[in-house]
Amino acid sequence: MSRLDRWFEGMSRQSARRLSRRSWLSRLGGVLVGGAALPLLPVARAAEKNKLGEDGVKGREGDPRRCEYWRHCAIDGFLCSCCGGSHTACPPGTEMSPVTWIGTCRNPADGIDYIISYNDCCGKTFCGRCMCNRNEGERPLYHWYRNNDINWCGGAKAQTYSCSTAVLVKAAKEAQPER
Amino acid sequence: MGRPSKLVASIVLGAGLMALTISARAELPSEDVGQVLRLPERVGDHWLWVPDRLFRHSVLFDGDSGRMLGAIDSGLQVSPRAPLWSQERSEIYNVDTTYSRGHRGERHDYLVIYDSRSLEVKGDVELPPKTADTGTGIALVGLLDGDRFVVVLNQSPGSSVSVVDLQTRQMVAEVQTAGCAAVFPAGPSRFGMLCGDGTAINVHLKPDGALDRIRRSPSFFDVVDDPITEKGVRDGSTWWFASFGGLLYEVDFGSDAPSPKAPWPLLSKEELEDGYRIGGAQHLAYHPGNKRLYSVTHQGGPGSHKDPGDEIWVYDLPSKTKIDVFSAPNLIAPFLGPQAGFDAEGTVGSILSFVLPNMGVHSIAVTPDSKPLLFMRHADLGAVGVLDALSGEHLRDIDETGLSGALLVIP
Repeated sequence: MSRLDRWFEGMSRQSARRLSRRSWLSRLGGVLVGGAALPLLPVARAAEKNKLGEDGVKGREGDPRRCEYWRHCAIDGFLCSCCGGSHTACPPGTEMSPVTWIGTCRNPADGIDYIISYNDCCGKTFCGRCMCNRNEGERPLYHWYRNNDINWCGGAKAQTYSCSTAVLVKAAKEAQPER
Repeated sequence: MGRPSKLVASIVLGAGLMALTISARAELPSEDVGQVLRLPERVGDHWLWVPDRLFRHSVLFDGDSGRMLGAIDSGLQVSPRAPLWSQERSEIYNVDTTYSRGHRGERHDYLVIYDSRSLEVKGDVELPPKTADTGTGIALVGLLDGDRFVVVLNQSPGSSVSVVDLQTRQMVAEVQTAGCAAVFPAGPSRFGMLCGDGTAINVHLKPDGALDRIRRSPSFFDVVDDPITEKGVRDGSTWWFASFGGLLYEVDFGSDAPSPKAPWPLLSKEELEDGYRIGGAQHLAYHPGNKRLYSVTHQGGPGSHKDPGDEIWVYDLPSKTKIDVFSAPNLIAPFLGPQAGFDAEGTVGSILSFVLPNMGVHSIAVTPDSKPLLFMRHADLGAVGVLDALSGEHLRDIDETGLSGALLVIP
């Protein structure tokens, strides 16, 4: 295996965990058509890295429209922040499902673990934007309230799935058990 | 006849044949309007269903030719459920969720019954409007042995299972299964489930499909520290499940209560230290003839249990040993080729496959015949890779299989 292959492979693995699955395609498109913008990227990146976002967090981990946003550690779905809503509110015309799954995510700004409730927004079909799948502390189907595969609109009046929020419930008493 | 005469005769004959050929080319026979094909009587050894979340249908492909054979629609749930095929009844069953006004209105769930040769709907059975809906569609429905009963997982969000009698086309029972999920057929009147307390249950049905009894195993896995995934594989009444940490559990659902055996590791200590993990969506496949288990494997850390893998590790189950490692093909070029207008098997495709990172695959399925094919897909790339399941040789890719989905179903 060439060094180039190994580098791409490493990049792929990191990104598969940290980024939206679909974002590979958008990045590919960016590479194909946006080569001229490359010289600007380091500056743009530096600016983005230092930008203060939600919850006192800098960079992409503080941006609710990014898969890397710290609250998204166990989310699976389209981000409502990209769909006309926000990370705590549903887009117009949809309904927030009252039952949901939860995750425990660490806020990098204060180092505290918080319980995050990923309430789905329901009543319109797939938003189709900012798909994000992260599974830190996520558990299989039989562990219902920790499972992010389920369409949690099952608890809402209208049950078509549109997008997912990330509502902070409260500080957790312990960190996520992981494996 | 002298030579000049022969020459003339040959020229005349040749010209006549050419004229006939041109005439034949110019006048193609007229054709009938209104023809509709039917599937062959026998299900092909290498057929494959590819359900799609965005197109909301399941497409049937021939894995040898890559040709699409037909499709059945699914409802408006997040993912189509696995199509169930009864060769004995010459029927296909699909569980669909619909709404009275398109994407809104009153919800109705159905078991839709298709003729397996015409793919026309023959009828349906209405189900409680709470059939479980997940992003993967895995382990939500099952056709019990003998092809009499279909079981359908409900989630409201409480758990229950609807039982449909295919003979009477009636729903005959709703079994309460609190705390348990996923359905694993294990006989003509029995199916298993996994539960949130680390146990498994056997649900036994009476001859008419009503609940007979539920029996529970001892607790055999740690739900919090090292849970097993519900993406199991089957041989008779035995199912195998892998844990996040790579332990393979064998559970026999053939007795009164499920009987789990001691697990064994799919990954050595050194492989775990090197970061290897099992994972994906439908990440296990099993061939009941040669007893080989296929496992999607990647390198990752905590929380990577749904990441795709670019390697398929092959195990011989009787000897509990790893016998081979297959490479998953790079499916980006076969996916992009038809969209961007290049031949994925040509120069552009070869260059892209070399340059672009291999995103790996989430799901695999193996055909049960003696010359088995191993199918694989990445959940967000509309192409299916086809490998020789014995040698690992990459035979072909099937392009334009859809846009998104995690299921692969062998009829």
